[in-house]
Amino acid sequence: MTLSRELKVGLFIGCTAVTIILALFFLAAGKGFFEKMHVFTLSSKSGDGFTEGMPVVFSGFNIGKVQALELDDKGIVLIKIKIPDRHVKWIRSDSKFVLYRPLIGAARIDVNTSNLNSSPLDTNQITEVTVVNDINDAIAKVEPVLEQVTQIAENIEHLTRNLSDPKGDLNRALSNAEKITSNLASKKSLVEMAVSDEESVKALNDSLKKLKDITTSVDRILKKVDKMADKTDHEIYGKNGALPQINVILRDIVGKLQKLDKTVDNINKISTDTSEGMKDFHILRSDIDDAVNALGDVVKKLDAIIGSKKSPEFKVP
Amino acid sequence: MKKLLSLALALLICACGTVTPVPAWKENAYRHLDDYKTSFLTGREESTEPHFVKARREMAAGNDLSILTIAYLTKYSLHTASLESFDSSEFAKLYGLEPNAVDMAYCHFLKGNFSAVDARALPSRYTGVLKAALSKDLTAAAREIAAIDDPLSRLIACGVWVRYLPSDETILQMAIATASANGWRRPLWAYLTKLQTYYFEQNDVIKANTIKARLDLLKKD
Repeated sequence: MTLSRELKVGLFIGCTAVTIILALFFLAAGKGFFEKMHVFTLSSKSGDGFTEGMPVVFSGFNIGKVQALELDDKGIVLIKIKIPDRHVKWIRSDSKFVLYRPLIGAARIDVNTSNLNSSPLDTNQITEVTVVNDINDAIAKVEPVLEQVTQIAENIEHLTRNLSDPKGDLNRALSNAEKITSNLASKKSLVEMAVSDEESVKALNDSLKKLKDITTSVDRILKKVDKMADKTDHEIYGKNGALPQINVILRDIVGKLQKLDKTVDNINKISTDTSEGMKDFHILRSDIDDAVNALGDVVKKLDAIIGSKKSPEFKVP
Repeated sequence: MKKLLSLALALLICACGTVTPVPAWKENAYRHLDDYKTSFLTGREESTEPHFVKARREMAAGNDLSILTIAYLTKYSLHTASLESFDSSEFAKLYGLEPNAVDMAYCHFLKGNFSAVDARALPSRYTGVLKAALSKDLTAAAREIAAIDDPLSRLIACGVWVRYLPSDETILQMAIATASANGWRRPLWAYLTKLQTYYFEQNDVIKANTIKARLDLLKKD
């Protein structure tokens, strides 16, 4: 069977078209064109940072994107996110949505789901998005540093202005130092430099001369005191001095104390005997009490037998 | 036969006796108060107060306020008889709890508040002395005091007069005689001292020295 040229061309074109259609179909299927999509609504007080097509990320993987941004009647921004059916399992009722704006890189919505077993998020429920803004945080941290740097710069400027000013503190201090050194250079002695008065220096010299006389007198006195100390030594430590006599007295006292020791021992013995005897006193006392009570009982019994006992009458004397 | 008669008589005497027993606290309180009086008057300083404490303890056991009041009034009367002052705060407390006109009249008499004494409530033996005190009649007082039979009551009357009214030799001598007759050293010493002062005030040195000799004798004993 022979095919006509037209038929062959027709078949070629047809096959090519089918192949192209199939390829497109597979491409669309691979891109999720035929997949069922879920749309959730998020809310935020400000739309700043949100853009259409912004990725929705779960654990670092893109699971969807922002489909549309709308403004409701109360001025709240509504963010519609589109999640494919295969990723909708990550969106749960307790999921938290965070707009994360890193310092470097594109902004995204992070989904944090703590419990994957919780119920799926209702598509009618509107969840609020919290904002984490690295750029603002960084600016907030840098701001005080910048203020300090500005202040330092102002201080440096003030200092340099002061230094450059001929009537400034530093220049005045330098001129004073120059005056002092020139004044000191013209004085005769260190003392004159210190007191800057010649008469005072003379008075000081006179005082020093007198001090020499005083030290001579003190030397003389000390020699006399030495002689007196020698005499006192003799009187205290000499053969007939006070100390040997005190020694004799002390020996006598020690001898007498030794004799007294025996007396103290005897007193101790006596007190021990007495304390032992005192123990018997309690027994003796109880014996006396018993005897008195017994006598009282006898008297009472006699009274009862005789029956002459009258009730005592109390009256003032 | 005689033995039988003696036995019957003894049984009869026993049968006549009262069968109501006297409470022990009352008997003991009476005895201790009596001992207190004797110790106080005879000048046994160390044993005086313990007797009163014991008496008071027994009375407290009986919880009879009237008897306790009498005990305190007895104490005050002994101080008065010995020309000593006393603190009547305990009596005031007891009187507050159980007022009694007789006790108050006696207390006023002992304190020398003669105008406040209710003569009808005062023991009859003192009424004559009270009248004499109100009229400050020394002769009548000596007569009334001498008429009191009980020596302690007589001494108390002397004490009241000597403490609160002008002294008199007759009354002082009467008190000395009463105290010495009964061997009551404490009031005797007080009245002798008072009489010595009286003689000194009268410039009667001889009699004063005689009294001093009597006091020395008392001191030696």
